[in-house]
Amino acid sequence: MTKIWRETGFVEHDPWVIETDDVKATEAQKPLLGLDALIAKAEESNEAGLGVVIKPADDVTRLQPYLDRLDIVAVAFPAFNDGRAFSHASLLRQRLGYANELRAVGDVLIDQIPLMLRVGIDSFSVTNETALRRLAENRLPGIPHYYQPTARRAEGGQAYSWRRLPAKSA
Amino acid sequence: MYRYDEFDHAFVAERVAQFRDQVERRLSGELSEDAFKPLRLMNGVYLQLHAYMLRIAIPYGTLSSRQMRMLAHIARTYDRGYGHFTTRQNLQFNWPKLSEMPNALADLASVEMHAIQTSGNCIRNVTADHFAGAAADEVADPRPYAEILRQWSSVHPEFSFLPRKFKIAVTGAERDRAAIQVHDVGLHLKKNDKGEIGFAVYVGGGQGRTPLVAKLIRDYLPEADLLSYITAIMRVYNLHGRRDNKYKARIKILVHETGAEELARQVEVEFDKLRDTELKLPEADVQAISAYFAPPALPERPEGWESLARWKKADPVFARWVQQNVQPHKNPDYGMVTISLKPIGGIPGDATDVQMDAVADIAEEYAFGEIRVSHEQNLILPHVALADLEAVYRGLVAIGLETANAGLITDIIACPGLDYCALANARSIPVAQEISTRFGSPERQAEIGELKIKISGCINACGHHHVGHIGLLGVEKKGAELYQITLGGSGDENTSIGEIIGRGFEPDKVTDAIETIVDTYLGLRLDPSETFLTAYRRVGPQPFKTALYGASSSAAEAA
Repeated sequence: MTKIWRETGFVEHDPWVIETDDVKATEAQKPLLGLDALIAKAEESNEAGLGVVIKPADDVTRLQPYLDRLDIVAVAFPAFNDGRAFSHASLLRQRLGYANELRAVGDVLIDQIPLMLRVGIDSFSVTNETALRRLAENRLPGIPHYYQPTARRAEGGQAYSWRRLPAKSA
Repeated sequence: MYRYDEFDHAFVAERVAQFRDQVERRLSGELSEDAFKPLRLMNGVYLQLHAYMLRIAIPYGTLSSRQMRMLAHIARTYDRGYGHFTTRQNLQFNWPKLSEMPNALADLASVEMHAIQTSGNCIRNVTADHFAGAAADEVADPRPYAEILRQWSSVHPEFSFLPRKFKIAVTGAERDRAAIQVHDVGLHLKKNDKGEIGFAVYVGGGQGRTPLVAKLIRDYLPEADLLSYITAIMRVYNLHGRRDNKYKARIKILVHETGAEELARQVEVEFDKLRDTELKLPEADVQAISAYFAPPALPERPEGWESLARWKKADPVFARWVQQNVQPHKNPDYGMVTISLKPIGGIPGDATDVQMDAVADIAEEYAFGEIRVSHEQNLILPHVALADLEAVYRGLVAIGLETANAGLITDIIACPGLDYCALANARSIPVAQEISTRFGSPERQAEIGELKIKISGCINACGHHHVGHIGLLGVEKKGAELYQITLGGSGDENTSIGEIIGRGFEPDKVTDAIETIVDTYLGLRLDPSETFLTAYRRVGPQPFKTALYGASSSAAEAA
């Protein structure tokens, strides 16, 4: 059972579907297109409110011309140990200035979610049972002292320029 | 030395709590061993042949007496009374129970230590010259930069799931004692023509099954750009490093396959976007961190010159120890002492709780409470007055750590090998012990001079055999152990990878083979000042091949 979680809680009636050969978005749903398909669609129409899924080997900077037409970018973690999406998220937020929903999809585990939040991911497609239970209990295993600036808004940390503390208000 | 502030204390305490929660989930069965593995690895916990192993970080190899006593306490309380100092300046305990590890980590946290990122595919403990702050040939102390990198890389969210592990080493001297050219990133502190501190940046060195010497990708990086430039390297590696084959996943393979020039270009493009961001290091921060590493105030102790001469005359064994294990300090009244953890016939790098406690006491009394771990698996007292050398020596004799062999043939680096390690193909420790015993006589070692033997029990090369003047690699052939010999490797400022000399030797023949090589060297050197490495570089492998395999060896190979 997959659920969408954001820091405000679980999201009901999420419309986004990653299309495959077998799975297509219904009338009530919206497709998360692959990078090439998204670019093709954006080039041939003026449609906005689009969604895209970035795979680990994709060049995320190709999204730059279309960012204002995207409601959501999903970054894929095909396995927990494939960390490329952390860099994709960092580039989207810090380099490209993308401000809409940024979702982690794939192998999304409880111990990684605090790190994903810090690089600017703010939406999580979660299947893992432990992760779902701990999120429901609002028990995130993060470390609220940071030694590096990242995409997520934070307070200046004690003493040195590279340190950060959680933002006082969300 | 760096001291934790409130922020660091809070961070480490939170990390211990986080790991305690993970261990509890593992022990309750909620986490499978497979799911637990990446979590425990991120905190230095390996599953070895017989038990879990805990690897404790000793940042850039610097320890206080208080910290050393805590390591002794952990050896006593959670292990079997000893620990093993590693080639990455860390300490490994081989027998702690998983259920007790959170308590051991809490004990460590009380003395500002941890096991964070001592394993896993993340940025590992940053290493540095073990003579930092004391060596006469130093441009600047590398440890403040290593400390800044340690902090910045701790639980870095973008770089915690890299293609493979990532090792950074920093040196501040022309003589490279940190082996920076066999690290993923090597930083060499230097000054530009305006006298400003910066770094030469090397990338893509490493050992393992594909040994490669690092490439210089930037001749001078300003100090303020350290974190932006390293972030640029990490990001290029995280996005483009190979993930399809763990043996091709290190950055050295990316550098090799992409080409150093193209990789440097990609890094520069990323760096250009990062250099004027919040990653820029303010001068005040560098100064504040550097202040922690200010050398101790060294009182003038000129009386040591005369006393030392007298003691040496009275006791030739002491004189030999001074000759071999004490190096000149930048203050002429002081010396840098190497405490050899290579007793003749012993296990390289091992120390007991009693020895650790005693070294802590000696350091406190005579060496400003400061101890280093060298990547050659020895301990260092970086600031000892010549006038105190005799007392230090007597203290070391009392605990059996007075072996006068620093840099000599019995100062062997060896990995834990098949006695402990789940990856090993062959044993390393018994081979080191036998070689050490064979060459143990002080006169013979002195005659041979500087000669570094390094032994790895498998292709992963934890024993650094590729950069041994003589390297031994244990392999498994048809169910039996065999040792392949390489010659001419070196891990200093003139780094070279050793060449395989020929077919391997059985365990009971390998010491004889080493002896043949040594005798061949003694026979062909120009004079006793020509070291093994210099001689090898002059004559090449053939005389050694002939001695080992017979006169027909070159013809046979050509055929």
